[in-house]
Order: sequence, then C-alpha cells, then structure tokens
Amino acid sequence: MVRVLLRPRTFVMAAGLAVLIAFPYLYRLPFFDNYLSDFRTFQATRFAIWIIVLMGLNLLTGYSGQISLGHAAFVAVGAYIAAILMKDAGLPVFAAVLAAALLTGLLGFLIGAPALRLSGPYLAIATLALIIVLPQILKHPSIDQWTGGVSGIRISSPRVPASMHNNLDMNTDQWLYYNCMLAALIMTAMAWSVTRSRLGRAFIALRDSEIGAQQMGINVSLYKMTAFGLSSLYAGAGGALYLYQQYYVGPTSFDITFSLTLLIMIVLGGLASISGAVFAALIFTVKDDLTNFIVAHIPFGEKIGIESSRGALFGLLLIVSIIFTPRGIAGNLRKQKEARPGGPRKSRIAALVNKIGLFSRKEAQASSD
Amino acid sequence: MDQFIQQFATGLSTGSLYAIIALALVLIYRSTGIVNFAQGEMAMFMTFTAWSVWNWDSNFWLAFFITLIIAAAFGALIELVALRPVESGPVLNPIIVTIGLVLILDSLALRIWQGQPKPFPSPAMFKGAPLSIGPADISRTNVGVFCMSLLIMALIYLFFNKTKVGLAMRATAQDRVAGSLVGIRVGRMLALGWVLSSMVGAVAGMLLAPTLFLSPTMMAGALLFAFAAAVLGGLDSPVGAIVGGLTMGVVQNMAGTYIGSNIDITVAFVVIIAILLVRPRGLFGRKAIQRV
Repeated sequence: MVRVLLRPRTFVMAAGLAVLIAFPYLYRLPFFDNYLSDFRTFQATRFAIWIIVLMGLNLLTGYSGQISLGHAAFVAVGAYIAAILMKDAGLPVFAAVLAAALLTGLLGFLIGAPALRLSGPYLAIATLALIIVLPQILKHPSIDQWTGGVSGIRISSPRVPASMHNNLDMNTDQWLYYNCMLAALIMTAMAWSVTRSRLGRAFIALRDSEIGAQQMGINVSLYKMTAFGLSSLYAGAGGALYLYQQYYVGPTSFDITFSLTLLIMIVLGGLASISGAVFAALIFTVKDDLTNFIVAHIPFGEKIGIESSRGALFGLLLIVSIIFTPRGIAGNLRKQKEARPGGPRKSRIAALVNKIGLFSRKEAQASSD
Repeated sequence: MDQFIQQFATGLSTGSLYAIIALALVLIYRSTGIVNFAQGEMAMFMTFTAWSVWNWDSNFWLAFFITLIIAAAFGALIELVALRPVESGPVLNPIIVTIGLVLILDSLALRIWQGQPKPFPSPAMFKGAPLSIGPADISRTNVGVFCMSLLIMALIYLFFNKTKVGLAMRATAQDRVAGSLVGIRVGRMLALGWVLSSMVGAVAGMLLAPTLFLSPTMMAGALLFAFAAAVLGGLDSPVGAIVGGLTMGVVQNMAGTYIGSNIDITVAFVVIIAILLVRPRGLFGRKAIQRV
C-alpha cells in the first residue's frame, strides 16, 4: 500500500486533483486574477461536460470502430429527458441526471440493434439521420406538451446549497463546476476500467476484425449494441449536465454541425484513448478562443480581411492538424514514446527513486510506465 | 387521383435534384472510397464561378464549358493539396478533411460573393411553360435535370465498365496496394476521381441554381438528402443514385402531402433506414465479400 502511494503516478494524480479542486477559487488570488474568472470556470464546466460526451463517442467510434455522425441526438435526448424529469416530475437534479443517462443508454442500446446490419459509410449516414430528424420529432404536436415544441424547455436555474454558499462563499458557476467535474472524473474512471476489462478488449477485437472476434467466441451483436448503449449513456449524462448548466434546451440546441464537430474532435484528440477524449474536450472548449486569438494576432490580418474568414481559418486549422497529427494528439504522444530508442523512457522521478533505491529495480521500472 | 399523380411528379422533380448530386457522391466514392462532405460546397463554389464568368460574358454555354474546365482544375487541386497527405492515414481522416473544406469554401464564398441569393440564368431550352404529362405539370428545368442525370449516369457506367482508365480507377478504390502492384498510377487515379466528381458537381450546381437560387447555403439542405439517396441506392452504383434520389423525393413529397408536412423528413428517413435494414448495401450496392 505504501509503495502504491509512493508511485510517481500517484503524485501526479494528486497534484492534478489539487489543481482541479482549487481551480474555481484561483481567480480570487493575485496573478491568477489576470487570467481566470467566473467565465473561465463556466468554460471549465463545459470542458467537464464535453469530456463525458466525447469519452462516450470514443468508446463507440474509437474502441468499437462504429462511426456515429448523429451522436448529438443522444446528447439532446439526455437533456430533454432530464428537463422533463426535473420540470414535470419534480425530480431532484442528481436523480434526473442519473435517470436521463440510464434511459438514453437504454435507447442507444435499442437503436444499436438495427445498426447491427450496417457498417462504414452506411452506418455513418444512418446515424446522421438521427440528428437530421430529431428537431421534427421534438416539434411534433403529438408530444409537444412535454417537449415544449419550438420553444423548448426552460427549467429553474441551478441553486447553490445554503451551506456551501455560507461556508465556502460558493457561487453558481463554482457549484456547477464541482458537480460536473466530479461526474467527469467518475465517468472517466469508469471508461478507463471498461477499456481495460473484458468488455473493452471485446470492443477492440470487434473493431480490428469482426470475423476474428467471432472466432474468439465474442457475441458480436451483443457487444456492438452494448457499445451503442454505453456511449449513449455517456451522451445522455453529458446532455443532462449541459441542461443543468444552461437550464434550457430547445430543438435547435444540438444541430448537425455540433454532431459532426463531436466526431472531428475525437479524431483530433486521438481515437481509442482515454487521454485522447480529454484532449478532444479541451480543443472543443477552447476552439473559439483559439480562433479569436489567431484572428487578433495574425500579421496583416486586416489587409486580408481575416475577420470575415473565421470559418475558413478554422477549416484550415482542422486540415493542417489532421495532416500533421493523423492519429490525434494522444496518438502522436504515444508514437513518440514508442519511437524513442530503447522503448518508453523512464520518467525522471522513477529514475530518482531508482537511484535512492527505495524499491527493487524491477518494481521501480514497473511503476514508471 | 390527380392530386396523387401531381404529387408524384413533384416528388420526381425534387428527386431528380437529389439524384444528380448523389451521382457526384457515387462517382467520388467509387473512385476513391471517400464519402465527400464537401461535394455540395464544391458545387456551390463552382456555380458562383460560373456566375462570375457569365457576368463577364453573358453566353450561358460559354460560361458552362469554361466552368467545367475550372472545376476539373479545382478538383485536382483539392486532391493534391488537402487529400493526398491524409490518404494513407486512418480511415476517418479524409472525411474530416472534407468537413474542413466545407468550412473553408462556405466562408470564402460568403466573402467573395456575399450572402444574398443571386439569380442564375437558365439555358433557353429549359425556359417556357411547364410540360404537361397526363394530369401532372412538371417544369422544363426539372425535366432537363432529370435527362442530364440519366446522361451522366450512362457516361459513368460506360466509363467505369468499358474503359481501361475506368477499370483502373475501380481497382484503385478497392485495393490500393494491389492496384499499384499491377502498374496502376494510384495517385493519378485518385486525382482523376476528384476531377470528375468536381465536374459532375459543377454541372449539378449550374442546373440547380435557377431553382435553388445561387447562395452560399444553396446546397446545404439538398446535400443531406443526396447522401441519403446515394446510400439508399448503394454508394457504388450510379443507377442506384438515380433510383435512390427519385425514391427519396417521392417519399418525402408523399409523406408531406398525406401524413403531414411537419413530419415529412422523418418519414423519408424511416423508409430509407427500413430499406437499408433489408439491403444493408443499398438497393443496387454490391456486398463486399472478404476472404479470411
């Protein structure tokens, strides 16, 4: 146990956790107040929500190899279910989010059944159909008493519990941040363990060769549907939290562009990788800020009218990054690590630990990778 | 009954529009194995180019052929600059690049030609009163688009099945390594695929612009239906693109008339997915048999 605690990875994780916990309060300190604010906390909350959504899509597309262009439909369904449960059934937030995640997951599992017969571009377009038709369904008069038709659903704004407000001086943005970040951490840990379990290995086997997986005794249909269900569960949870932060959802909240962007992001972040989904969420969160920054700082920007070519600039960035990091950020980092002579480099801390001789050589090596 | 026939004819007109864009999609899928999300935007961009040429010399057919030449160069340029670097990478990357192209072309078109819709000339033979076929009226433009789709389909069929280059292109799309082993210049074949589909896209854009009005977003709606049409017919089948496009148009129109216009798209897609479940490779698509 002591040895586990002394592992370098444990220190890094503890430091990361400390930063995550301190983040929403940092802007009240000097120096940090130049860069951080409640708005940055709001963005960090969005980042946590995108981690959940993109983690789910990565389980489906990255790990099990099924391309979904309509993932936003599940995000929307999660948000709507949560909204209806909170507004009409008066469920507390936690129960509503959980129920929305589970129900969306179930729906995804069932939609996975017809998807079994389709693959490649056929599956991609069939899933794209989900997000194309969703606004029409949501606006249809037969269900608009629940969905609110064109105007969507507005729920009451999130309230910070009195104890948090009084003792920690916590505002709404900070409260939302802690809730969503906790959910993101739990769901990341869950995805991490799924990918290293029997289920995750089955997904990978399926992706690499369906026939091979079948030969190994993997129930292809069941696992494909499970991949759909699991990723929809993530999308539903993300959608429900999005609703909680935004306290509004409407038929145009999630459109085709959003849906396609989700797929773009997981490719940029790195497919079939937990850290890839986190990178993807990070890019998704900062992409507008990044484009604005470039627009403001590019030389001769005004002369070439960069202001009105934002879309072109973003498209160009997209193509350039795909060309230079074809396997996404996570894939690129992994490749560099593997390409080093003598295999993955031992971390500096591990080398130090080795020198001091805290553990036997073998254990120190094991803990470094 | 008369209403049914008229709605059927209207559906065919809308469908012919989907069919011709679907043809361009099929062409590129068949020759490169890529689903091109930028097809609509490329067509729109070329149609604007045609509009500029037409403004410089107001002869429709001159503008038409000059645009075709520009479209060929444009297709080759896109393949060389944007697609070639990602060809050997993971399968999703070319799709992402085409989505990037959508953003670039949209934004550039808006800058160069502005957003308000522009009138586009239609060739003299498409003008005049709608043709009456039985109790149904159908506009000359739509008949023209339909005939053009059939012509392009026939040309594609002949090209891919009867010429050496066409066969080489199919071989490249199926298996690049095997293609290059038998001496096919793989890179050139892929570029040629982009050239041809850019040209078909340009033809589609120029024929549709008088009805859709020329604007940067003119293709946005139709493209999604064209995708559905191409998938319905089978992504590698030119005949399928036409049948798929017409089916899509008719189903959407019928659903709008008899079930309700607030649910027409949904019904159309439900029908398509139902058909795909029976025939997962589309109506005319061939199933890829893999030997292990």
